[in-house]
Order: sequence, then C-alpha cells, then structure tokens
Amino acid sequence: MSITRRGLLGAASSIGAAALGSRLNASELHVAASAHGRNQIVPFFGDYQAGILTPQQSHTYFAAFDVTVPKRSGLSELLQSWTDAAARLTAGLPVAAATEGSYDSAQPLLDSGEAGDLRPARLTLTFGFGPGLFVKDSTDRYGLGSARPAAFVDLPRFNGDQLIEGKTGGDLSVQACADDPQVAFHAIRQLARLADGAAQIRWVQAGFRSGDPGKTPRNLMGFKDGTQTPSDPRHVVWATDEAPRWMRGGSYLVVRRIRIALEHWDRMKVAFQEQTIGRQKASGAPLGMTQEFDQLPLATTDRDGNFIIPETAHVRVANASTNDGAQILRRGYSYNDGVSFVAERWPPWHQGMEYDSGLLFVCYQTDPRTAFIPMFDRMSKMDMLNQFATHTGGGIFACPGGVVKGEYIGQRLFEHI
Amino acid sequence: MIVISVRRSIRLFFATLLATAMVLQTGPAGADPTPSLLETLHKHTLLASTVTDNGDLNPYAITVAPVSAGQVKLDDVLIDNFNNVSNLQGTGTTIVDYSPTTQKMTLFAKIPQTVAGCRGGVGLSTAMIMLKTGWIIVGSTPSTDGTTQTLGEGCLMVLDPNGNVVSTWADPNIADPWGNMAVSDNGTTASLFVSMAGFDVPAPSVKDPATGEAPIIRKATVLRIDLSIPYAKPPAIKSETVIASGLPEQADRDSFLFGPTGVALGTDGTLYVSDAVDSSIDRIQDAVTRTTSAGTGTVVSSKKLICDPLSLIMAPNGHLLSTNGLNGQVVELDPASGKQIFAQWLDVDQAQTPPGKGDLFGIALKPGGTGLYYVEDDTNFLAEATP
Repeated sequence: MSITRRGLLGAASSIGAAALGSRLNASELHVAASAHGRNQIVPFFGDYQAGILTPQQSHTYFAAFDVTVPKRSGLSELLQSWTDAAARLTAGLPVAAATEGSYDSAQPLLDSGEAGDLRPARLTLTFGFGPGLFVKDSTDRYGLGSARPAAFVDLPRFNGDQLIEGKTGGDLSVQACADDPQVAFHAIRQLARLADGAAQIRWVQAGFRSGDPGKTPRNLMGFKDGTQTPSDPRHVVWATDEAPRWMRGGSYLVVRRIRIALEHWDRMKVAFQEQTIGRQKASGAPLGMTQEFDQLPLATTDRDGNFIIPETAHVRVANASTNDGAQILRRGYSYNDGVSFVAERWPPWHQGMEYDSGLLFVCYQTDPRTAFIPMFDRMSKMDMLNQFATHTGGGIFACPGGVVKGEYIGQRLFEHI
Repeated sequence: MIVISVRRSIRLFFATLLATAMVLQTGPAGADPTPSLLETLHKHTLLASTVTDNGDLNPYAITVAPVSAGQVKLDDVLIDNFNNVSNLQGTGTTIVDYSPTTQKMTLFAKIPQTVAGCRGGVGLSTAMIMLKTGWIIVGSTPSTDGTTQTLGEGCLMVLDPNGNVVSTWADPNIADPWGNMAVSDNGTTASLFVSMAGFDVPAPSVKDPATGEAPIIRKATVLRIDLSIPYAKPPAIKSETVIASGLPEQADRDSFLFGPTGVALGTDGTLYVSDAVDSSIDRIQDAVTRTTSAGTGTVVSSKKLICDPLSLIMAPNGHLLSTNGLNGQVVELDPASGKQIFAQWLDVDQAQTPPGKGDLFGIALKPGGTGLYYVEDDTNFLAEATP
C-alpha cells in the first residue's frame, strides 16, 4: 500500500477545512500506523521527543524562532497549536485536511499543500526552548525564569567564534528531520504560519546527508563522519533526575552552523588532510589502522616518539578519553547555501566569493556544562580543523521530555510555575 | 655554512618540538666565528591564544615590557591584533598582555575603532614599543574593507600603562606606521624608528600595465621620531627626521601590504630595514644622528633564504633575525658580512603553501636573549622558541 499525504488527506476528508490543529482521529492513526518503508511514520507521542535517538533521516530543516507574544497564555497556546499540528504532520497528514469541494475557494488553505503527494518520510519534529524563553533582556517575560534548569547555561564565546547575530540564538527551536527535504521544509513552513502573531522565524538552516544505509556518510570534506558514536546513547542524551520535572526525559541541544573553507581544504595534500582529521580518507580507518571501526590508537607513537594520530588531530581532541569522558550524541548535517563573499580568517587572508557550505552541527547531551562546552572549549583552541572551519551561528536549546496524548509540548514547564 | 632547521615532525602542529638541522647549502667552514642563536633553539612551545573576547585576531606586534608600570609587569609580552572579528585586515583594535609568571593572557587595551586624530580609524600594526617610562607607542594602519582600497593614513598612539590612549600623533611624515619599531631609550628622551608604508598605495585592484601586478610605489620611508618625556607626562615629539626614503611598497589583496616591515638598531647606531618587496635587508648608517635621508641605504643581504622579510630584530650575538612572509622560517644573518647563516622553520603549518606562509610576523627576544617570542597568525597564538 502506498501512502501519500493526498491519500491520507482523502482518508481524513471528514475532518474538513475547519480542522486546524485538530487531534488525530482513530482512522487517521490506523492509516498512519500501517505505513512502512519509505512510508514509515515515527510516532510523535511518547516518553521522549522523536528526532533525538531516531535513526537519522536524510534531511533536516532547522528553525529558530523569536517569541513575540506578550503573555504566557499566548505562548502556551502557540505550543498547543504546534503540538496538534506536529502530531498530524509527523503522521503524514496536512495541518488541516482539505479536499476538492470541501473548502472555501475564496479563502487561503490552511496547509500550503506541497507535501500533499509526498509520503511521511519519517518526519520528526523536535522542539526546544531557548534561553530567551526564561529571561530575555533581563526580563522574565513569562514568569518561567525560576524553572530554568541549572544545566541550561548560555554558551560562552569560544575561540574563533564569528557568530552572525541573524543566525544565532532563538527563543524556540524546531528541528524538522525527514527522508524527504520537501517534507521537512513543509513542516516548518506550516508551524511558522501557525505562529503568526506569536513568534517569528529568527533563522533557519537546511541540511542533508547522503550515503547508503548502514554506511557512515561522508561530509563535505570527503571524510567519513559519524564513525565514533556513544555505545549507549541513552546515557548520553537524556537529562538526569537532577533536572526539573519538565526536563525529565528531555535533552539539551547545541546547534552550530560551521562554515568550512572547502576551497582551501581542496588544495591540501591528502596526507595533511588525514593528519588533520586523524583518519584515512578512503577507508575511514584511524591513522595506523586498517578498518574504519578499529579503535583509535591514541597512545601509539612512531619511532621518534610522536603520536601516530597527532596531538591536534580532530578525532583525538574530540575523543571522550581526551575530554574527561565528556560525550555527546551528534546528529549533524552538511549544508550548502551557495556562495557568498568572505574574508578567510587564516593567512593569507584571502577574500572572494566562496562556498557558504559546511556542517550544521547538532548534538544532544545530558548536561552541556560537562559535555559540549568543555569539549568544544578545548577543541576551539587545539583542533587542527579550526584552520578550515568557522562557527557562524547556532544556539542552545532545552528540549523538554516527550508529549503524551492530551498534553502539549512543554506543558509541564507551565505547570511547574 | 647555511643550514636550515625544521621541526622534527611536520605532522605535529601545536606540540613542543625539537629542531633537526638540515644542510641546505655549504660554504667555507668557520667563515663566521659567531655562534648562531637559532642553532641553539630546539624547543617550541605555544604559550597562549592571542584572540580577544571581541574576536580580534591576526597578532602582529610583540614587545616585551622593559619595566613594571600600571597593569604591565616587567617582562610581560604585549601583542596587538591587526584584524577584527570580520577577518578584515587593518581593523584590529586590541592589545593583549601575556604574563610569563602566571602564563595567562589578558586583555591590555581595547582601543575604539575610531580615535580623534587617527586618520581612517584604527587597525593596529606591527609598530609597537613600550618605553622605560611605561608609555606604549602603537601604530595604526587602518582599513575598513581589509584592503588598501580603504587605507587610511593612520597614526601613532600613545597609551598609558593601563591601556588608555592619551595622545595621538599624525602629521605628513606619518603614513601607515607599519613595521616593528626600534628604539633608543634614555628614559627622559628616546628615539623611535618606524617604517611608513602607506604613501600613495593604491587599491589592490590597480595594476601596473607593464607587469600586470600591483604597482610598486617607491615612496616608503623610515622615520626617526625624537621624543622628550617629561616626568609623569606622556612623551612629546621633539623632532622628526626621515632617515630613509624611496623604499618600495605594494598593495596586495590577500597580504594587504608589502613594504619596509621591520627595523632593528645596531649598537653602533646603524639601522637595518627589512624590505619585503625586494626581499632584502638594508643598512641605514648613523640612524641615530643623521639629519638627512640615506635613501634606500645599502643592501646588506637579499633573497636566498630571505623571502618577503617581515619583522627584524637584533640578537645578542650581533646577528639579525628576520621572519619570512613567504614561508614559516626565521632567518639569521650577519649584518657585517651579509652572510645568511641559518634558517629555522618556526611554523610548519601545511595549511599554507609553502608551509607557514603568512603565519609569522612579530618576533622579540626573550629577556636574557636566549630565546624568542613569536606569533603564529594561522592559529593566533603566542609561541616561544627556547634552547
């Protein structure tokens, strides 16, 4: 059985055009649950938000929003609306069903419709709360300041940061991931429209990853990226019991937009590229080893006593064993935003039109104070990759626990106060 | 004999490294009886990042504090930044202070992007010195787009030892103070020697039809500025003398500017100038006392190991040390004979071609003269080379 949103749309036609933000009905759920393969639906409801431990989809569309609604009730209404819409969108449904003849052609449709013929594509929508939701410009707009978790700290300025204000921060985040880029974009587009008057998009970033299932994908530098993953990511991502109740089952998200000087990188000898990464380019094997998944020989030296994997190689400085055990779950994507004029931040300070491409680094963790922050503080000073990579945007977000039916995302935060 | 020293392992990027000598070219053994300083330096250590909280980068000048004054302690190392967070050259406004005692780098001065009397704004250059009276003189070679298209004439600024600008010097003799300064400092009086590399330098897009390259403008100078330093008051200019002129200067889109980039004063009053356009080291006789320009002086040594020479200092053994712009080497030469004695790769970063290209700039002797401080512009670190 082939499931498309149009098919689902038909199945749900009884809901009618007025069903904006409506909950899933039984027949819709039945159809959704029967999907398989490319048609797979990742359940929205659960103890944890989807899109964190979910096997990574091929595309992302990440959006950060500034909340503009003045009252807390307006904020919770927005989250209620987003929850209802997300449940439908992830199930392969439009925000509001509409079929020929069932809508008022004199009015705009409530769903833009570009995903109408598309399959669910394992869409996940993962919501996060930015620091500005708790305190912004020294003001606790929504009376939530006291509920801010101790672990939810502002990111410090890291060495080499060149963050662009228009691509940094945000009061709310939505990470849309799907095996179809149009499905991911469609979802954000609908949520942004629903937010009209309550929140506005601050920045977005599309991303992609390619490769055969079961194989480690390659990043734009041509290296396998993602070989090293935590053995049990559940222990790496979920907030601990020390977190406020609303964050139990949640995770802290750090996202960084990292521009990579691909033109510069492409001119480097492959041996130097491999020294920079610490792995062989073709096989992905650690330097000095033969297989991709061989252990990193971090203690192995050559005859002169120099480490086989250089002290500043990316894999060494990022490894948990060199970071007091700090671990994160990476869930990043490559990005490609065309070309733009840039002044490189390394000699010889080349200026010109260069690819605005690189990595949308996304990671989840139990506590950024003991994970990303100390890890990247060291990397920002020592990683050989710094000569090719510049962090130009991003943010930190507290992603609350999952939503059970009848709740809205983050509801327990509002009950906390 | 000319030898070149390379770091033991080119793979190691930041680590403390040993030097290994490699003979490049041989000559009559024992022709220069003075031992080389570079040959004794085997250990290279990164000391601290020079990047400031506001994102300034591209460290240029290094000067070692001759006294304790204000927040600066004796033997502290002051380093300025030429770029701001936009990566654009000629926009940096910060000076950092490395304490060898605490091994910490702290912000010493954050100068506004525009300062009254500093033409075109502030972009801190390699021209920086601290006087025995505690005053710091620093040059500005400013731009707004990272190229000479927007080059202003800049200025020299006087800072108190707490990092505050107390006066600004700008006059027709001062046009983009560029290279590292030399000083003859007697306490109540002092003479500064600083190269001026911004006379009529066009935008990098302007080409010489004959060469297709940016035109070489032969208008750069070396200016001696004689100062009086009243007790507890900032230094004041007594007189200025152009002691060298007609030196070449050239715009470059990537490197910003080539010109006379370093000066070093010999004990006999001879000034040595590094000419980055012609890759030579030139001699200006009687620099402390002369009242006229010596023109471009006479060439002491050129090319071979000297490749786009930048900062220039006098070592305790009487040799000159010059950092190269076209690779990561520092070159030691005998100013008397002009003989190039030794070159050592201080920076072997292969992210540039050849390794270390554009990574070196400022250099200074460590107190006691047994080692060097140098900056690594690729990673924005202060480093040292020691025995």
